[in-house]
Amino acid sequence: MTAVARPGALVAGAESAGHALELRGLSKRYGGFTAVDAVSLRVERGQFLTLLGPSGSGKTTILMMIAGFVAPGEGAVLLDGRDITALPPERRDFGMVFQGYALFPHMTVAENVAFPLRVRRLGRAAREEKVRAALDLVQLSGFADRRPSQLSGGQQQRVALARALVFDPDLLLLDEPLSALDRKLRAELQEELKALHRRIGRTFVSVTHDQEEALSLSDQVAILNHGRLVQLGPPEALYERPRTRFVAGFLGHSNFLRGTVREVAAAGSVVQAGGTRLLQRDEPGPPGATVLLSLRPEKIALLAEGEGAENAVAGSIAAWAYLGAGYSLSVATCDLGVLHVALPAWRAPIAPREGLPVRLGWSAEAAVPVLEDADAA
Amino acid sequence: MRGYEAGPLARTLAWATVLYLLLPITIVIPVSLTDRRYLSLPEQSLSLQHYANLLRSEAWLSAIGQSFWIALASTLVAVVTGTLCAIGCWRIGRRSTELVRALMLLPLIIPAIVYAIGLYRWFGWMGLLDRFLGVTLAHGVTGIPYVVITVSTALAAFDPRLEQAARGMGASLWQTLRWVILPRIAPGIASGAIFAFIHSWDELVMVLFIASRQVFTLPRKIWDGINENLDPSMAAVAVLLILFTVLLLALDGAVRARRGG
Repeated sequence: MTAVARPGALVAGAESAGHALELRGLSKRYGGFTAVDAVSLRVERGQFLTLLGPSGSGKTTILMMIAGFVAPGEGAVLLDGRDITALPPERRDFGMVFQGYALFPHMTVAENVAFPLRVRRLGRAAREEKVRAALDLVQLSGFADRRPSQLSGGQQQRVALARALVFDPDLLLLDEPLSALDRKLRAELQEELKALHRRIGRTFVSVTHDQEEALSLSDQVAILNHGRLVQLGPPEALYERPRTRFVAGFLGHSNFLRGTVREVAAAGSVVQAGGTRLLQRDEPGPPGATVLLSLRPEKIALLAEGEGAENAVAGSIAAWAYLGAGYSLSVATCDLGVLHVALPAWRAPIAPREGLPVRLGWSAEAAVPVLEDADAA
Repeated sequence: MRGYEAGPLARTLAWATVLYLLLPITIVIPVSLTDRRYLSLPEQSLSLQHYANLLRSEAWLSAIGQSFWIALASTLVAVVTGTLCAIGCWRIGRRSTELVRALMLLPLIIPAIVYAIGLYRWFGWMGLLDRFLGVTLAHGVTGIPYVVITVSTALAAFDPRLEQAARGMGASLWQTLRWVILPRIAPGIASGAIFAFIHSWDELVMVLFIASRQVFTLPRKIWDGINENLDPSMAAVAVLLILFTVLLLALDGAVRARRGG
């Protein structure tokens, strides 16, 4: 009776609908290979968490352990504090969008979406009602009788979403949900997915290797490498304050400057890198320590004649590329090696040309100290 | 662009092969229409009398009926066990399942007569000689390889993520099998069933060993007919058999054609 009475259940109760997921010391070994190594993290109700990492980082294995398709070697999966590690996938009540969508080719769109309801033995009337609501939600109302093979990639993706959401799952899992789509469509569906998440307020866990997708969709991003959780946090925090060299290099681009801390003062620290003294607002380490700084290409400015900056270095353009929105410059410097600089094209003070001498400058807040990956482990 | 064309040698060879395959079959057609009372080519006129005899003969009709029911029952045995075996091997997917699959093909590899001798000893102990059940089991088991081969082929094209998706959405193993896996591999199962049916329908060697009076299949009746009297009804039966088999193969072709859509 209740099932029939809540046709709009998909969109209701934004705050209460989500469930909190916790992973405790999750590990998985295949023979001598450690796919996932003691990963612990927590996703709060209604949040969008993305597991981001290169291929082989263990992100998909973690998702499969959450879904129940892979049994963890060690550790536990908890939903709202309840241990579900031993529960088989069909009893977890999680919606899942598979890589490549895994739509049933022998069923129509409506039959595909109705599948989770059919296995739950829901009555025909309630089933039809919910299927209609789910197809409305993904704006595919007119496509109920088509076969998946008659749909475009983006439409198939939406059917997969509708099918994953139709039974009001506790958790929605997405395995590389947008990777099969072309660039433009991907950007479009990113926005849709984000709006959908906000509208239904459920907890989403997504896996991707696409950093742009991770940054734009998520409330929290977990960066994984070699089966380990390297850093967890909101996208801005990860981008602005990467903890390790890997995070800084994987999420966006970064220049790395190595130097020794010379002095620590109230106004900032001085880091000696080759013959250049770099001013850092924060305190990267005690005097005498060797430190690694990550400096984003877009935080470096091209200095005009006579213009000063807290950090300045001279060099010449070794290579450059025009990218539409901006220029990408590689500037060879004496002390700091090659620095990559991202320059907005519309206010570029120069016309780049190879061999052109330039002066680069950046503020004392621009660079961020990061750990070497070996030290972070 | 001109496609590849066969040279005269290849062409001759191909036609020779076709004739070699077809001639012995086509000879029975005129023989079945003979106006004589023994196996021969028609001399004065064509006659349908042997077809009429056939349809009036209690013995022939009974043999056809028995063969049909045995083929049907043994097809059921082969399809159920063969399909489950193929799905099981596919799901487990380990090295050891390769061995199981090879084992399932044994009836194709071992000479039927060797197999029949073994069956004769075992069925003697179990009291299955000259029984409908005995022949059905023998034909069913030896029909398994056809089903295992066709279903395995169909499963090789099945996306394992569909099964994962079904389980992830709450489907039990049985629901997944019925609503997702079976519909996808149905054409393979149908193909296997048709071959298993044909296998039982024209099997003679095992029947000679394990059946005598009670169970009298069509191939057995033809065999006895050739040995005892040279009744042209056999040619008529042969023509009907050929037509029936061609029909089944055409059905198989139709099933395979639909698989693409």
